[in-house]
Amino acid sequence: MNEEQKKAYKKKYKEAKQEGVRFWPHIIYKDLLMSFAIFLLLVGLATFVGIPLEPKADPSDSSYIPRPEWYFLFLFEFLKFIPGQLEWVGTVVIPGLAIVALFLLPFYDKSQVRFWKKRKIGISIMGVIVLAMVGLTVRAVATTPEMEETTVASSVREQVVQGEDLYSVHCVECHGPDGEGGEIQGVEGLEGVTVKSISSRDEMYTRSDETLAAITNYGQQDLGMPPYGLAYGGPLTKAEIEAIVAFMRYTWDDRIELPPEAVIATLPAWEEGFVPSYEVEISRIVKRNCFSCHRPGKDDNNNYLMGSYEEILTTGDNVENNLIPGDLNSYVYQTITGNPILDPDTGEVLIHQMPLTKLMKEDYIKMFEAWILNDMPETVEEAEALMATPTPTPEPTTEEATEEPATEPTITPEG
Amino acid sequence: MENAFKWLDERLGLNEIYAEVLDRQVPKVNWWFTLGSASLFLAIMQGVTGIFLTIYYVPSPDHAYDSINYIMNGVQFGWLIRGIHHWGASLLVVTVFIHLLRVFFYGAYKYPREFTWVTGVVLFLLTLGMGFTGYLLPWNQRSFWATMVGTEIAGTAPGVGGFILRVLRGGTDLSAVTLARFFSMHIWILPAVAMLTVGTHLYLVIRLGISHIPGEDE
Repeated sequence: MNEEQKKAYKKKYKEAKQEGVRFWPHIIYKDLLMSFAIFLLLVGLATFVGIPLEPKADPSDSSYIPRPEWYFLFLFEFLKFIPGQLEWVGTVVIPGLAIVALFLLPFYDKSQVRFWKKRKIGISIMGVIVLAMVGLTVRAVATTPEMEETTVASSVREQVVQGEDLYSVHCVECHGPDGEGGEIQGVEGLEGVTVKSISSRDEMYTRSDETLAAITNYGQQDLGMPPYGLAYGGPLTKAEIEAIVAFMRYTWDDRIELPPEAVIATLPAWEEGFVPSYEVEISRIVKRNCFSCHRPGKDDNNNYLMGSYEEILTTGDNVENNLIPGDLNSYVYQTITGNPILDPDTGEVLIHQMPLTKLMKEDYIKMFEAWILNDMPETVEEAEALMATPTPTPEPTTEEATEEPATEPTITPEG
Repeated sequence: MENAFKWLDERLGLNEIYAEVLDRQVPKVNWWFTLGSASLFLAIMQGVTGIFLTIYYVPSPDHAYDSINYIMNGVQFGWLIRGIHHWGASLLVVTVFIHLLRVFFYGAYKYPREFTWVTGVVLFLLTLGMGFTGYLLPWNQRSFWATMVGTEIAGTAPGVGGFILRVLRGGTDLSAVTLARFFSMHIWILPAVAMLTVGTHLYLVIRLGISHIPGEDE
């Protein structure tokens, strides 16, 4: 560039300034207005959109699909078009060159032409690059598979609830619904093994959260407990194990009290005339005491799934007998009261007492009794409507009565 | 009051600053020219909210996630501070990038503003760097795996890749050391460099004046 061109530019700029405005207040006013609009936008985004909840980092969970921040997505997507052995060209050379080209722009584009129509080549190149970046970003967003809906506990309450659910699925079979332990039955490879209580003071007072999490993660492999953490080939993420530990701590450690807002109502004691509903009482009892075996992917449960109201009424090999409205000969009631179902011809045990190791609390059994006698209401409203009318009296049938004496005294409550 | 101002002006040169910085004639421009100051505003917001966040944030793998949970649920207006910081980061990238495109479109990087452009590109890269280092700090699944992949990409550089990867991560694995490094980069090193560069950038903008919108004959 020569002195003449510099002079020409300065002259033009001076003219533009003369037709211009004062920086204060004209420009400042516009700037402030823009900044204020942006501020409102930020507060709006923070208030109404918020920040998506994500589970805690878990180095062992490599199933997670990595997604960079959105403004790096185009680069991420661009790399997919680069063949493997040339990866470094896409990751280092091209971005590197782009950055250098950006830095040196004023030094290789020395022409003093500024109006866009006269710079068609430059504007087109930049336009194509920007469009490609936008296009790649859109493509990346469109092709990224949806993340599996993971539950993230954001409060102690949610964590304890999640922990209870996970405990019910993964731990109850061996450790019992209340961590009481005892002799394991119906678990392959651990049949007859006796497990000590994990809900006792001895356990709770002497094991820190870290220890409990480590045990769940690694297992107690010499004693027969398999690892549950993803790091050791188990099914649970770190966040899930922490939820189980929180559930154990807040449920069994009598030194710890749940913060008031986190307290989950315990089931009320059984009272005469009360009609339980599926959605409140029965589902909770079932979750803790039955679901561990009666869920998809488990063997030896006669295909009886107990995950929902629908399932509990319509699945299983003995679906027509499992729950009969108003009839305590229902298999479910018979087995939870300690009466195995026998083959009428051979006398062979078809269905053992349930749960296998120890019968449930008397209150829970009473709940089931009232629920079945009142034709298994699903919602609280239905149950409350029934409570207004008197409970029908049980009518034992003679057919079932003949089977009952055959019951072997195999029940050993409280171990 | 007037005396106090006079006393200060005599020593600080307030009137001179006013004349040099605020009371100047500039070309008439459009709304696209507000994006530079909008970026500055967002950067200041990031600084202010970021400083508030460091009061409760703990840069260790054991506590980072929980400390952010506490900011979101336990601290008064913590959700707002973090919300502004979170969204401000994305918005800053947008405003800086559009600002860059505007400068390109009007040919404002040409004489005499070549060096202003260079400092601007540095600021653009610093913004991306702040985004990259800040992304890891919440220590959640998303940030962990994005950083895993991001540092792996840096590690593909021929020859020096392994070295760069180890420097970024502070070892071969993404660990507590990585978090400490990213935190330090995010709150000390990059902001310090950014402040110096913003200062230079602004000095040049004031010294050379805002570019004008070129006419058809230019």
